[in-house]
Amino acid sequence: MKGSFSRVWLPVIALSLFCPATWAAAPHRAPYRPPVVRDEKPKPDFAADKAQAHPIPFLLGTNPSTYKPLPRQDVLITHATVLDGAGHRFDDADVLSRDGRIVVIGQHLDGGSSRVIDAKGRWVTPGLIDPHSHDGTYSMPLTSIDSDSSDVSELSSPIAADTWIEHAINTQDASFLYALQGGVTTLQILPGSTPQIGGRAVTLHPIPATNVAAMKFPDAPTGLKMSCGENAKGYYGGKGMRPNSRQGEMANFRDIFSQAQAYRDQWNHYHADPHGPPPSRDLKLDTLAAVLNGDLRVNIHCYRADDMAEMQALATEFDFKITAFHHTVEGYKNPELFTKTGTCAIVWPDWWGFKMEANDGIRENAAILDAAGACVTVHSDSPVIGQRLNIEAAKAAAAGRHMGLPEAPEHIIKWITSNPAKVLGLEDRVGTLAPGYNADIVIWSGDPFSIYTKADTVMIDGAIAYDRHDPAYQPLSDFQLGRKAGVMQ
Amino acid sequence: MIRSLAIALMLLPALASAQDLAITHAEAWTMIGSGTGAGKVSDATIVVHDGRIVSVTSSGAVPAGATVIDVGGRMVTPGLMNAATQLGLVETGSADETNDKSSSNTTLGASFDIQYALNSNSVLLPVARADGLTRAVSYPGAAGTAPFMGQAATIHLTETGDILERPQVAMYVQIGSATLSAAGGSRSAQWQLLRNALTEAGRYQPGKPDQPISRLDAEALQKVLKGQLLVILTQRESDIRQAIALAKDFRLRVAVMGADEAWRCADALAAAKIPVILDPMDNLPISFDQIGARLDNAAILGKAGVRMAFYASGNTIYLSYDAGEAMREVAGLAVANGLPYDQALAAMTQGPATIFGLSDHYGTLAKDQDADLVIWDGDPLEPGTYPWKVFVQGREASLETRQTLLRDRYAKPAALPPVYQK
Repeated sequence: MKGSFSRVWLPVIALSLFCPATWAAAPHRAPYRPPVVRDEKPKPDFAADKAQAHPIPFLLGTNPSTYKPLPRQDVLITHATVLDGAGHRFDDADVLSRDGRIVVIGQHLDGGSSRVIDAKGRWVTPGLIDPHSHDGTYSMPLTSIDSDSSDVSELSSPIAADTWIEHAINTQDASFLYALQGGVTTLQILPGSTPQIGGRAVTLHPIPATNVAAMKFPDAPTGLKMSCGENAKGYYGGKGMRPNSRQGEMANFRDIFSQAQAYRDQWNHYHADPHGPPPSRDLKLDTLAAVLNGDLRVNIHCYRADDMAEMQALATEFDFKITAFHHTVEGYKNPELFTKTGTCAIVWPDWWGFKMEANDGIRENAAILDAAGACVTVHSDSPVIGQRLNIEAAKAAAAGRHMGLPEAPEHIIKWITSNPAKVLGLEDRVGTLAPGYNADIVIWSGDPFSIYTKADTVMIDGAIAYDRHDPAYQPLSDFQLGRKAGVMQ
Repeated sequence: MIRSLAIALMLLPALASAQDLAITHAEAWTMIGSGTGAGKVSDATIVVHDGRIVSVTSSGAVPAGATVIDVGGRMVTPGLMNAATQLGLVETGSADETNDKSSSNTTLGASFDIQYALNSNSVLLPVARADGLTRAVSYPGAAGTAPFMGQAATIHLTETGDILERPQVAMYVQIGSATLSAAGGSRSAQWQLLRNALTEAGRYQPGKPDQPISRLDAEALQKVLKGQLLVILTQRESDIRQAIALAKDFRLRVAVMGADEAWRCADALAAAKIPVILDPMDNLPISFDQIGARLDNAAILGKAGVRMAFYASGNTIYLSYDAGEAMREVAGLAVANGLPYDQALAAMTQGPATIFGLSDHYGTLAKDQDADLVIWDGDPLEPGTYPWKVFVQGREASLETRQTLLRDRYAKPAALPPVYQK
């Protein structure tokens, strides 16, 4: 799309008042607006009152976000090479953010009293999004305590559907800050993959606080973690427990989802006709009923193509959508599984082989799935990689180029911005630089897909959260404070 | 047809080894000498005879009859060497049957020697070679006999024959929190066990019964006392300083590996001439031993004059899988954080060659060195770069791997299912 913005981008008159040459997202979806809460009058009906006293509990218990953006001012970034996350590249472009939102991308913009950052040709992208992180639960430093009882998974049952990973987040895990320095502005923290149903996920900004609520992305949808294959049968089978086979795993899934169907029906009946006591609460079935209602986004750890097909069959039987497969090592063997369902494929470029179900990993996985039309994302799963999602994407893209599937940087950037935003259900708010989107912005020292490039400035909601050249914007975790930490800027 | 093929096959080895090869118009990084450029020769002609380098000269003449490969200005380096892998020892890490990196048999401590397990048919070797690796160290994993891990070998990633190049190139021990419990819970115990074992090995008398060290371990450690390299895997500054002291006290040839906090004692390491084998990607305080980990560890060590060799761990995945690609990536990170480019290349060629005693035949593009050559399609430290061609002792190696075969059989639609495509 380089150089063709006039075709794709149309001026928006209201914004062009202060920007002589403006590109704004005309064909784009509307900017995010918080959901309107309908002001329903209570019905003068005893039964309904009683139902309200016992609302359907599937999503109850959330820890509402208290996140507040860092102190911010309006910013005009000028003379940038912009990859907008939606597939476009704009050279020598300006990006204006006001009140934490992108206002406009154009040329020769007048930002009024905005702080001006001259990018001098440096590259600007949306903040990166990691759809698979364990930061805060496998906290650094790891010790023998973690080897006995890390907080990444509740292991006492293969169905840990009642657990919420947000209840375990060590908000001072330094991993968050290393991710931030790598340009990550939003991450999904998932439970581990040993249980078949690991529990509910949480979407955070990597700005450590004294409680998780203050890191939570406001009004973000919630994910659920499930897993298939070797992990559960190996761990529980090794303890003489069920499951010890893939068929046992599937039986467990079908059993619990059948229960969830009945549970959901009980609550629906109660609400339709609220006489008698409400159904007794079951926290595991709350979570799975929410899946059946389409209110939780299903993320499944799977490696083998046949395993993924089985999980898709499960989803079809119980009529829920799989938002994304994670790791997806054999995704390339059956791209239709993704293109037909809209399920995203979340991959590593070059982690494979370490277990039997990972034997057939290939580096071209992302590029092949992308070329087939699937929603492709790379992920970290590790704080080591969580600092360099751009290089992970670069490696995956290079493998594609090497086999004759070249893609331009403005396309590749989607793998770590707008595509993971889709996984998180935040595609209308983050992952793209367009009017109305959150001003989550990274200014890179160069081409973000070069090993020599670093994130110079990272903004979240229009506020500078990290700046490589300004010690005032270089956070240090509580753990590292006073410890002769090796932090290098 | 069959007869001509048979003749061709008979002639092939003779031709391939005897024929001269001339690589022309190369940007040759000879890795000879030190300093910026690392012996870079522009528009180089690299002449190879009988699997060895004859000459690398700018605009040099092509010998009569030589096969000419015009590389059009592409960068050429020695085949790369990864200083810490488990290539040939591990196939599928979690499948014990394919994992020979360590032993829980406590009769083999220091004497555990991985040379007998090397699998030249491992499918991980072509992957590494196709990423520009022609040599590597295969080292033992942590064992039940902490701090001793055993003895490593260098391997040569040839397409045919045995990959074992030199067995017993170094003894490995691991000191620090990763192996504390196996040594009784204290790193002091780890150091004392190591020191005591060295002392007892020195005193060992063949044939005398009831000695405090086994014959096997004594013989293995006597090699260390006589100058075999002792590689100490350790991260914390205090342990690195202990390693320096150990080398001095026992007059040992020591290298430290891991060494995330080595930058804190860079000058002491340089003064003691102790090389460092490191993963420049290590920058997280992932254990209490690594609080000081930082991305410019290599840059600081390089500036102090410490000899270096690189490897990549990647949560141990890269020790076996993608050992070539990953090492180039971490070398790029080292450069991104201040290490001069030529030093990064050296840490993947002549650095490890010198540390592990191969520099008489590998590590540079000097005359008589093995013609292990990689012609790159770009900057080898960038993630987008692949080898254009790889030569091992003058023979062009196939870049086909099990992974490329898998890729191709699923990428090409055919009447029969992929399982029929080979």
